[in-house]
Amino acid sequence: MGNIRTGLKNASRRKFLQQLALWGGGSVLAGGAIASALHYEHKKKGVPHIKEIAEHTHQLKVNKEALSELQRRGREGIPGKRWIWVIDLAKCKNAQRCMSACQQAHHLRPEQSHMNVLVMQASEHTPAYYMPKPCQHCDNPPCVSVCPVDATFKRQDGVVLIDNQRCIGCRFCIAACPYNARMFNWIEPLYAKEDANMEYNVELNLPQRKGTITKCLMSADRLREGKLPYCVSACPNGVYWFGDENEDVVTNGTTHETMRLSELLEKNGAYQLMPELGTKPRVYYLPPKGRSVPVKEEDKEKAIEYVHHFES
Amino acid sequence: MNVANEKVINDLLRPIGYGKGFLIWMSFLTAALVACLYAYVIQLKVGLGVTGLRDYVSWGIYIANFVFFVATSLIGMLISAVLGLTQIKWASPLARIAEIISLAFAAVAGLVIISDMGRPDRFLYLFFYGRIQSPIIWDVTVVTTYVVISTLLLYLPMIPDIALCRDRLTHVPKWQRKLYEILSVNWQNSENQQRIIRQGVKTLLILIIPVALAIHTVTSWLFAVTHRPGWDSTIFGPYFVTGAFVSGTAAVIIAMYVFRKIYHLEQYITVDLFDKIGKLLVLVSLVYLYFNINEYLVPVYKLKHADAAHLHELFQGRFAVLYWSVQLGGLLLPIILLLFKPMRKPLPLLIVAIFVIIGAWFKRYLIVIPTMQHPFLPIQNVPIEYQIYKPTLIEIAITIAPIILVLMIITVLSKTFPVLPIQEVESHEDN
Amino acid sequence: MRIIERKRVILFSTLLLFAIAGRAEEWQVPADKEKRTSPYLFDEQMRKKGEDIFKRSCASCHGMPGQGNNIRSLVPIPPDLAEKKVQQQSDGAIFYKITVGRGAMPSFKNSLTEQERWQVVAFLRSFNKDYVQPPLARLVDSAKLRSVKVIPTFDTVQHKVVVLIKAFQKTDTLPLSEAEVSLFVQRYFGNLPIDSVRTTSQNGLVTFNFPTNLPGDSVGNVQLIVKVNHEMFGELEKTYTAKLGVPTIKPPLTEKNAMWNVGKKAPRWLIISYLLVVGTIWFFLIRIILSIRKIKQTGKNPKL
Repeated sequence: MGNIRTGLKNASRRKFLQQLALWGGGSVLAGGAIASALHYEHKKKGVPHIKEIAEHTHQLKVNKEALSELQRRGREGIPGKRWIWVIDLAKCKNAQRCMSACQQAHHLRPEQSHMNVLVMQASEHTPAYYMPKPCQHCDNPPCVSVCPVDATFKRQDGVVLIDNQRCIGCRFCIAACPYNARMFNWIEPLYAKEDANMEYNVELNLPQRKGTITKCLMSADRLREGKLPYCVSACPNGVYWFGDENEDVVTNGTTHETMRLSELLEKNGAYQLMPELGTKPRVYYLPPKGRSVPVKEEDKEKAIEYVHHFES
Repeated sequence: MNVANEKVINDLLRPIGYGKGFLIWMSFLTAALVACLYAYVIQLKVGLGVTGLRDYVSWGIYIANFVFFVATSLIGMLISAVLGLTQIKWASPLARIAEIISLAFAAVAGLVIISDMGRPDRFLYLFFYGRIQSPIIWDVTVVTTYVVISTLLLYLPMIPDIALCRDRLTHVPKWQRKLYEILSVNWQNSENQQRIIRQGVKTLLILIIPVALAIHTVTSWLFAVTHRPGWDSTIFGPYFVTGAFVSGTAAVIIAMYVFRKIYHLEQYITVDLFDKIGKLLVLVSLVYLYFNINEYLVPVYKLKHADAAHLHELFQGRFAVLYWSVQLGGLLLPIILLLFKPMRKPLPLLIVAIFVIIGAWFKRYLIVIPTMQHPFLPIQNVPIEYQIYKPTLIEIAITIAPIILVLMIITVLSKTFPVLPIQEVESHEDN
Repeated sequence: MRIIERKRVILFSTLLLFAIAGRAEEWQVPADKEKRTSPYLFDEQMRKKGEDIFKRSCASCHGMPGQGNNIRSLVPIPPDLAEKKVQQQSDGAIFYKITVGRGAMPSFKNSLTEQERWQVVAFLRSFNKDYVQPPLARLVDSAKLRSVKVIPTFDTVQHKVVVLIKAFQKTDTLPLSEAEVSLFVQRYFGNLPIDSVRTTSQNGLVTFNFPTNLPGDSVGNVQLIVKVNHEMFGELEKTYTAKLGVPTIKPPLTEKNAMWNVGKKAPRWLIISYLLVVGTIWFFLIRIILSIRKIKQTGKNPKL
């Protein structure tokens, strides 16, 4: 009798102890994880260290709210809009103003080009031409599909953005993008010191961060203000048309001429880059017909080199 | 318990303990590991820029290494589950070696991935913000699961042996005795306890098959879900899995040889066992060869625009020497050689296995890097180091670190527990 | 054979270049346009505004006047606008060239108003010390301008916009003839010109054909801008809303559950299969882990 009772007591105590251990271990783990995350969030924003816990959490909360507003609207996008980009290859003269304007706006290194003007050639006897290549902001973006932490995402207005406060630097998106539209901050960014105290703006991706991705953002910060993207406005040659698919209208970045999107695409026989991949780009190209400036000889060599690379 | 069994127990328990050789070997490994970790500290400070990786080839030997680790870890499933469930008896003494290798490689694979991350400090984000559509999340899930299954599959059948250690090894340090006592969970060799283990192991053997297939199939999907030539393949899953068996079998052969020599287990890891596993290596290599033919012949036939450049680079271009060395020296030649019985003797087999495993590592290199080197669009307006990938010394050191870690884990496990399952060996001896 | 061909090509392209270059020398301006003079006085304010416009829309090719930083690689070379050969031309000729454009030089007819184009001329003239502004075409009289009435009618069935322009003339408000009227639809980055610029008839009317397929808001409303320009009465701009567009619902692109959408909007089948598979496997694993405890308990008390 007594034996059974002690046995039961022992059993229940053991059970209790086991549960205690389980819960204890679990909560220590969870607590550690949360604490480290909070600590990191805290450190990341450069909040001065405050010893009193109450004050600390208060400060954290305030900062988080301020941050979440920029993040929230940045992640949501502009309602009712579907940005569309038309690039007229006949106009491009490789001035590369778009590239420098973009690098300036996003504090990039010279070898980082969200917008890259390539010399292209399809095959031996087809012509060489200049092709500005931004992120295609695909409607079926392979880069976004593979992101493990929602760091890159597509917004309701079509822009594909990157949140470098979330990015873990796995570079799966670089592997997935067939257009090479993504870059990585392999080392400390160019203006790391100068931008250190800047509040992070996901629409501008500033400050840039070491160990995270950066990419063309369609100048989402400018779009919010009703302005054309940095590269589009910087072009001296009327290459870029930018607008809203919902309005069926695009505006030229150089001349500010505005015309029907459907008409522009129809008249010029527009096409998309590698449509066979099913990525559904939001960027259209007008073929390089009737160019006023020939491709430079040295650029032609680059182009034919690329052709031979594929034909061998 | 008869005399023969008594001898088996004594022979198999003898290697346990941390002798002089062990200490020298471990301190050598530790020193090497510290040097490699220093390289990682530099990478943490400066960024991934210290590697040869750039925006075009953004996955390099870290990822190749990861794939190699996951591949090699699959061997536990092949030896324990496939051969175990199909009642192929000769392989059962090898189950523990295979499980130790599996566990070591699978557990370290996770660390390899962290070394490739731009922000390792955000590793936990994978759990906080995990996005279910990403194959990386699937990979994290299956690798974790596989590590747990491998641990259980190593541990459960070992409980009787640990109990033996507990009962027999009285000369070992106190902490070790304590360890055996805890791990042997009051093992009395009762009918009831044996039944629980039998059931548990049976469930595990069934579970490990889909999980092991998943772990490497999902790893192959890290590549196959992209559009890139050389990766955009529907047979990548089975291609990786069959390749995994090749490198895993080679790893087991190497381990067998080393344990046999160092622990003086010639009587238990027999020449016949080498002969049999040599045949197994031929079998898995033939299957892998079949998938290789599928993977390369079909695109060669069509020579699609982007594929053509990729294949040219492999067959005649920059990677040709490496490619043919790997395919001939690491796959075709071993198959031919191992068809001859003398080549399946321990030493020749070891040499072949070393070639196979080196070939297997470089095969992963050839899967990852060339594809990234020629994307769809030309690489222009970037410095030269962006165009051609060359791993740096720091990067190589960081790649070696996990290999050292694997060796350490295998050494410690094999010095703490008997590397051959005593019961299985006993029943073999009885037969 | 090949060399000859290549030579021919070179010869041909050289000729072509000459032809283009030759044309650059003689950009004919119709006589009446050449004689046109500015209705605005070229004062400091005009020049300042002109400079802003110039920097934005012209400097990228022409460079800043007098600094010789025009892009010489273009064909024809966009001249530095402080050059003598430019400054020799009449105000009307420069105004005309800005308006219509040619070749690589775009037309600014739609992107700059008349006043803005004159502002650019005013800015350019500041680089010519010898320049004296000819007598103004007219003095823009604000009272006169205020008397101009714009009365639009929107025919949503026929998709036509009829605009009646009236102004106070002599003794009464009467239909105004010879007024240039243009119609625009307001869009996010700029105004879309509709039909072409029309000139009012005797009865002060102009008619625009409105496209039948232009997207409006959810009920079909579009914002219209009517711009009126008259030699004597000046320029004015009015804004209206009309149901001339196609009703367009603009759903967000991120509505559907998809592989590329955020984690919360993953395909349902994916979430279900993931949870099911992981759940099943871990169910068994946890059972096995728990069974280890059972081994321990049985070991302690073999009878259990």
